[in-house]
Amino acid sequence: MATADRYNTCFVDLQTHPKGLSMYNDGNGVIPTLRAWGLTKTFGAGDVMTTALRDVSIELYPGQLSLLMGPSGSGKSTLLAALSGLLRPDSGRVLCLEHDIWALSEKQREHFRLKHCGFIFQGYNLFPALTARQQLEMVLRWSGISGWREARQRTDAILDLLGLSKKAKLRPNQLSGGEKQRVAIGRALIKEPSFCFADEPTAALDWKHGEQVIELLRAAAHDGGATILVVAHDSRLIPHVDRVFHLEDGVLVEGIERPLSLVAGDTAVAAEY
Amino acid sequence: MSYSLATLWYERQRYLPGVLAVGFSCLLIALQCGLLLGLFSITSIPIDESGADIWIGHPEVPSVDLGRPIPDKWMSFLAQPEVEIIEPFMEGFGYWVKPTGGMELVLIIGSQLGPGAIGPVRQLTAEHRTLLSEEMSVVVDEGEFGRLGITKIGATAEVIGRQVRVVGTVRGLKSLAGPYLFCSLHTAKQLLRPPADQVTFILGKCYKKEDAQKVVDRLQAYPHKISAFTSDGFSLRSRLHWLLKTKAGIALGLAAALGLLVGAVVTYQTLYAATAASLKEYAVLRALGIPRWRMALTVLAQSFWVGLFGICLAVPFILILATVGNDAGAKVLLPWWLWTGAITVTMTTALVSGLLALRSLRLVEPATLLR
Ligand SMILES: Nc1ncnc2c1ncn2[C@@H]1O[C@H](COP(=O)(O)OP(=O)(O)OP(=O)(O)O)[C@@H](O)[C@H]1O
Ligand SMILES: [Mg+2]
Repeated sequence: MATADRYNTCFVDLQTHPKGLSMYNDGNGVIPTLRAWGLTKTFGAGDVMTTALRDVSIELYPGQLSLLMGPSGSGKSTLLAALSGLLRPDSGRVLCLEHDIWALSEKQREHFRLKHCGFIFQGYNLFPALTARQQLEMVLRWSGISGWREARQRTDAILDLLGLSKKAKLRPNQLSGGEKQRVAIGRALIKEPSFCFADEPTAALDWKHGEQVIELLRAAAHDGGATILVVAHDSRLIPHVDRVFHLEDGVLVEGIERPLSLVAGDTAVAAEY
Repeated sequence: MSYSLATLWYERQRYLPGVLAVGFSCLLIALQCGLLLGLFSITSIPIDESGADIWIGHPEVPSVDLGRPIPDKWMSFLAQPEVEIIEPFMEGFGYWVKPTGGMELVLIIGSQLGPGAIGPVRQLTAEHRTLLSEEMSVVVDEGEFGRLGITKIGATAEVIGRQVRVVGTVRGLKSLAGPYLFCSLHTAKQLLRPPADQVTFILGKCYKKEDAQKVVDRLQAYPHKISAFTSDGFSLRSRLHWLLKTKAGIALGLAAALGLLVGAVVTYQTLYAATAASLKEYAVLRALGIPRWRMALTVLAQSFWVGLFGICLAVPFILILATVGNDAGAKVLLPWWLWTGAITVTMTTALVSGLLALRSLRLVEPATLLR
């Protein structure tokens, strides 16, 4: 409880806020695209038992870039996995676009991710044999979203957006770390997903390239209306995002560094999506 | 398809063992079968070296040396416009009592001997034919003297209770089951004593060899229970019969199976390792909701390419080694159906390895990417 008390002094604690979870959902009619509550997750049993998530609740809105921070081992990746339908929590519910993610069948969940989710993981995880263009094209073609021709057009468009037009034909071992990360971002965004989850996309990059990456994600949120949640350690990113969450020991609190009111304008715009 | 091919090419070092293993299997199967076919071609010598285009025999005749009696009036079946010559043919096994003691199984081959006769093997000269017209005279391969327990032309021995005399020798007509005794139709009948008006085969020669198949097809369509073959068809049937009947067929099967097993295991290992190396990339695609079967298809496509490249690699080596073998005196026969068979079996092995390697996709777990 000591932790929670400490946070109360400087952060708005979502659980104890008088208006509760719907505090941002009044007046201007912005409906969260992702709502989760009561998320708990423990690993192992007995002596080795770790509690990664303790009764976590969160609401995310379209057109917003949210940052999730916290010390190592605090459960950030676990939360991301639970929200995105990759790892079943022990208890709690996740509503994405009014779909109860963990009540869906495995197949339905897969289909939901296909239609609505993009991911950026730590490390680039690019196929070594394929060119930057192929890495992106593959997602569109294999997900059955578009045919060969359209896939090529959309791929070239997004490569252009990412500043990678000249690198389209290069393989991962011919690309710099920042370029590889941009390809990975492209792969996450090419489906134009409603959600994008990114786990430490900037960890391996210097500040200049990290900033570039976060700006790309912000553009995807603000211009594309996507709901984006990014895990990162670097507090220099805070000015670039709309909201900040802190996770410590499995307990989530929203930070006051970027209270939503400051970006209410963005939210209103995003509501149109 | 194109992604798997791109991967195969880019990481060719990794896939090379699989390609080599598949190629080796293909080579092993084709050459072994080719060698055995060549070896067993001696079982069809009486067909291959005769002048007949069409062979008619008992409906269940398995090979040329296992003929059964048929009525000689079946010769009328061959009274077809395309057929020029029709002849009876006698053939059967007998025991040769060696002058030195002991017995030897021999294959008695009796045919007509006239100048235009189609039954005798090419190696029988006009001189031989004249000598053979004498009753109870036979011609043998000179290489069989040892087996027959004789030392020179003019030797006599007892066959099925009758005295026969060796009047001449030929070369290069070795046999599998027992030495050939070439003789006249009359002598063969005396030795084999078939029921009245029965022979073993009826032979035909067409004006044009190409017509043989047409005539055979026509005869097969008759309601009568007879077997009609072209000489090539009967030759193949005889070889295959012996190939399958003897232990050689089994040995071939085992060796081929072993070759295939090695090919399959190496290919499986290669594909499994290649897929396992890309688990993280596949996991990202799984997280993005791309169905597992897409990845399964990629692995299968890779196994197809491995199979195809392996076969393409093997073909020139098969041709070179077959030529070398033929030059060295070992007969290697590679008919088109052997190629088809070897390629089909090899490709199937590669694809099955791919199917087995799909197991590695079960290790794809997108949640592990979030740590
Ligand atoms: N599969 C697992 N089995 C056992 N324990 C796990 C597993 N996954 C995570 N944990 C534990 O859960 C806790 C939270 O892990 P998580 O990966 O969410 O942390 P994190 O905040 O992402 O840390 P980091 O910043 O280092 O990536 C850790 O103590 C970790 O040891
Ligand atoms: Mg983590």
